[in-house]
Amino acid sequence: MSKLFGFSGDDDFCPRGSIYPNPKESSLFLSLGSHVDVYFPPRKRSRISAPFVFSGERVEQKKQVSIDVLPDECLFEIFRRLPGGQEKSACASVSKRWLTLLSNICRDEFCSNSTTEYLKPEEKSAENKAEDPEIESDGCLSRSLEGKKATDVRLAAIAVGTASRGGLGKLLIRGSNSARRVTDVGLRAIARGCPSLRVLSLWNLSSVGDEGLCEIANGCHQLEKLEICQCSEITDKALLAVAKHCPNLTDLTIESCSKIGNEGLQAIGRCCPNLKSISIKDCPLLGDHGVASLLASTSYVLTKVKLQALNITDVSLAVIGHYGKAVTDLALISLPNVSERGFWVMSNGHGLQKLKSFSITSCRGVTDTGLEAVGKGCPNLKQFCLRKCALLSDSGLVSFAKAAGSLESLQLEECHRITQVGFFGLLNCGAKLKALAMVNCLGIKDLNMGLHLPSPCKFLRSLSIRNCPGFGDASLAVLGKLCPQLQHLDLSGLQGITDAGFLPLLDNFEAGLVKVNLSGCVNLTDKVVLSLAELHGWTIEMLNLDGCWKISDASMVAIAENCQLLGDLDVSKCMITDCGIAALALANQQLNLQMLSVSGCSLITDKSLTALEKLGQNLLGLNLQHCNAISISTVELLVEQLWRCDILH
Amino acid sequence: MSSSKSNKIVKLESSDNKTFEVEEAVAVQSETLKNMVDDGCANDTIPLPNVNGKILEMVLGWCKKHVDETVTGDELNKYEADFLDLDQADLYGLLMAANFLNVKGLLDRVLQRVADMIKGKKPEEIRRIFNIKNDFTPEEEEEIRLENAWAFD
Repeated sequence: MSKLFGFSGDDDFCPRGSIYPNPKESSLFLSLGSHVDVYFPPRKRSRISAPFVFSGERVEQKKQVSIDVLPDECLFEIFRRLPGGQEKSACASVSKRWLTLLSNICRDEFCSNSTTEYLKPEEKSAENKAEDPEIESDGCLSRSLEGKKATDVRLAAIAVGTASRGGLGKLLIRGSNSARRVTDVGLRAIARGCPSLRVLSLWNLSSVGDEGLCEIANGCHQLEKLEICQCSEITDKALLAVAKHCPNLTDLTIESCSKIGNEGLQAIGRCCPNLKSISIKDCPLLGDHGVASLLASTSYVLTKVKLQALNITDVSLAVIGHYGKAVTDLALISLPNVSERGFWVMSNGHGLQKLKSFSITSCRGVTDTGLEAVGKGCPNLKQFCLRKCALLSDSGLVSFAKAAGSLESLQLEECHRITQVGFFGLLNCGAKLKALAMVNCLGIKDLNMGLHLPSPCKFLRSLSIRNCPGFGDASLAVLGKLCPQLQHLDLSGLQGITDAGFLPLLDNFEAGLVKVNLSGCVNLTDKVVLSLAELHGWTIEMLNLDGCWKISDASMVAIAENCQLLGDLDVSKCMITDCGIAALALANQQLNLQMLSVSGCSLITDKSLTALEKLGQNLLGLNLQHCNAISISTVELLVEQLWRCDILH
Repeated sequence: MSSSKSNKIVKLESSDNKTFEVEEAVAVQSETLKNMVDDGCANDTIPLPNVNGKILEMVLGWCKKHVDETVTGDELNKYEADFLDLDQADLYGLLMAANFLNVKGLLDRVLQRVADMIKGKKPEEIRRIFNIKNDFTPEEEEEIRLENAWAFD
């Protein structure tokens, strides 16, 4: 770090023998106060002598004298007297030693006038007016350092540079494995220079340890959000310091920190009365004890909880169920030691009264019984998302939906045991669902029999069936009758559906479709778009036909004529030619088109330049990637002309 | 200062073996020496191996001037201003001596003087004036410039 110029002359303080019998009394010679203690190790204080400066021939030595002969504490005192931010920034850029010293001065130690009591009062006030005043630092600046640019030097520069220009409020550091990394030294500079820090995010910093984070805790009492990911050297000690010194902490995220355990979390729970959000992932030392005590201590404030890849058991779930009185969002992901009983106990704790949004991924405890208990135990649950739960069956799903009376949005992903029976059972069970999404559920096959449908889903506005390859025309036909109020329809990746299944559907949607996503439905033809334009042209705002290679110019004409509200159109990889683009452009003044994607449409050529220019007047985004027939010069012309539009090419 | 000790003399010896004799009232302007006097260690000559004769003379002159009650406020100001009109080598020597001897008023003035010399200068100028080597790599300089650009304007 700082290297004082080598002094000749021996280390012995008093070469003629010590005046004092006890050599420790040499500290009497030290003049400066205790604030320098932390930074300056004692041994430096005795090295005040600089013999070569005092030797005889001053004239020759004059040129060689450098201010660096002064010991750190003298330079420190000089820097403290610098009048303004600009001077400090200038000094920070002079040498490494100066940067290190400057960045280690606490902001409140910069004294414009406090020790200069020997100045006459008139001089003092004149000085005050002349210098730029220390701006009230409210932490309005943000900095984000990534990869190679994340270094201690940069952090020290930030500590000095932001202090008098508003103060640092947010700091994000993404480390790397390069040679010059962020270490505790850099964090210490931030801790000293940026007391207004509110948000700190540390990712992938294996060379940062407890010392650095403890310094931050000691220096930045305004800290509200802390994120520590993949920092393998940080232990509970740092969390204890944060708990003790940062009472304003509201959000805490800990991910992949192998040395953090229960004690740290316990302390946070005890000492941070404002903690609203906690997210913990992949910390092998953490167990029920830490999680349970945290949840119990923050019972009335904690609103968001996310627990992922942890060794917690049913005990923690029981605690959540009992103490999670303020929890509104809960996410439980990849918890291998949690069983069906855990969910049952959680729900019967009757604590999750405020729970609105619940997400469960890869937990083997999600069985029919477990899920039904959740439905009963969370009376205000509105959003529910289930991923990779292989044990849930059709009947379990339906009983859950019946039990969860407030449920508005349900998403099922990779729940392969669910079949079309469960799916339609869901729609038919009288639930007040507004949004339903089934993604990648391989168990869903096409209906092969008629279905008795007493009650359509009056509330369903949004339906999404993505990448469920078994879903076919027969199921589609039934859908139309079941969801008359549908506005958002997403059938992407359903390669099995054809015009025969889709066309009858469109007649049934009374409310008028607003967003339609048919990407990857390769069997659909122009007939579908024509019907869509005719029946729903009044309402449709977004249409995605990505990959529907049978769609041709006829569709474009229909859209141009009918779809006045259409703002977002994606016809990537369709059989669109220049005529289609021309048709769109012709109707331009009637169209509301803002986003257009024709990527992969190899039949569009340079002839469409004028048409695209016309369309581009209103466009905000245009995707021309992989349009092989459009030359680079045409693209460049477009980029130049359509300056308001973001063109991908 | 208690009047009973006003006639006591303190003897000091610089690193180059020059001796100085001053009244105790003058010597105790230095906190360091004051502590020694209070502890009763100031009876023999006090060796000051860290301070040479020339600098020690300057410091003692300062202390004498500040104890002298016949000196007016204006005279003192002028004295202080002229006093600090030194070349860098002497200035640093004086600074380190004042630090070591802990003469608060002098220390403050010298520190402020150096701070004033830095005021309004750009980094390259500072390096030139104070004879400091630039040990940053080009990448590091760029990093600092990003944050402290206004210092380079």
